[in-house]
Amino acid sequence: MRRMLRLFLPLTIVAASLVTAMVAAPSDSGLHVPLAVADATAMMQKTAVIATLLAVWMFAAIALTLLSGREIRYSSIEMRASALHCFALGLVAVTSFALTAIVFSYLIPYGVGVPLLFALGVFAILTKIYGTIAVFHAIGMLVAGSRTREQLARRNWLRGDLAMVVIGVIVLGAIRLIPIVGPIIWALASVFGIGTALATKFGRREPWFLAWKPSLS
Amino acid sequence: MTQDACQRYLEDPEANGAHLVVCAKCRAEAAALAAKANVKPLSMDVNALPLAPWEGSSHRPWPLVLTLSVIVVAIALALCDAAGMSPLHVAEGSLASMEAIRGLLNSAASSLRQAPIGFQVAFGVAFLIVNALLIVLLRRAPRGIDA
Repeated sequence: MRRMLRLFLPLTIVAASLVTAMVAAPSDSGLHVPLAVADATAMMQKTAVIATLLAVWMFAAIALTLLSGREIRYSSIEMRASALHCFALGLVAVTSFALTAIVFSYLIPYGVGVPLLFALGVFAILTKIYGTIAVFHAIGMLVAGSRTREQLARRNWLRGDLAMVVIGVIVLGAIRLIPIVGPIIWALASVFGIGTALATKFGRREPWFLAWKPSLS
Repeated sequence: MTQDACQRYLEDPEANGAHLVVCAKCRAEAAALAAKANVKPLSMDVNALPLAPWEGSSHRPWPLVLTLSVIVVAIALALCDAAGMSPLHVAEGSLASMEAIRGLLNSAASSLRQAPIGFQVAFGVAFLIVNALLIVLLRRAPRGIDA
């Protein structure tokens, strides 16, 4: 199992390259010539956009982990401890964001819609960024995390939250480059991330709502 | 070592435990007391315990992080160069996708305004149900570390 996980990163990169090459290559002709120059250019541009966004994600992940590594770690642990709850919460939250955005757009002519829509947009973007970075940490821990104390002591580089987040960005980024499958997996990771961010209140592990109890006098 | 520090240690050994590191006399006395009381250290193998998530988490391997970041940025710049576009185009593309989402929301809202009242009520009920479900799910305490 551990060997499989260790091989996961190179295998993912090889699989991404193979599938990309298969999609780029024409299916009807035997030669590896793109169908048209425009198709090849479009594909190259798409890959360049993904790689650039990946670099931006890398810097965002490093910055957020340096600022609040403990919170990211708590969220990552929560995601692995109760994955189904995080996924369900993420799905409901994404649906709620969409419906609420439509309702706020409906309210734009009445004057209150614009600030509400702006606040919802900022909250949704922050939730997605934080949650996706927590997913990076969880994936990094799954792929390259230490299992024993001896293993941890032996390692110089592959230890710590920052390394796990960076490994997660690389693995999920490599998967993202796979056509068709990549965007789906990335979207699922976003749903997981949004759910985790909300379930742990951005790693603070505080309740969202205070429970009211009548005082016994 | 000063008598004051020894006195403070004798008054509250637990709070001034660090004093034993620097005072040989008190250390010897403590060892003699422990031997007399026949106190045995706990036989616990720390390495046998499972690895806690926070262990080694504050380590920052900058060479790995910087190397991987530089590689990713170099690949992105090379691909942008090969595709004949600048990273600024990517930012513009992201803004354009935000505009598309805004347009979609506006069209959905205008469709909702023009829809029959029954559909508007059904949409409102769906909105309430989804948000109630969200609140129910948010009330569950995280398991995380306790799991």
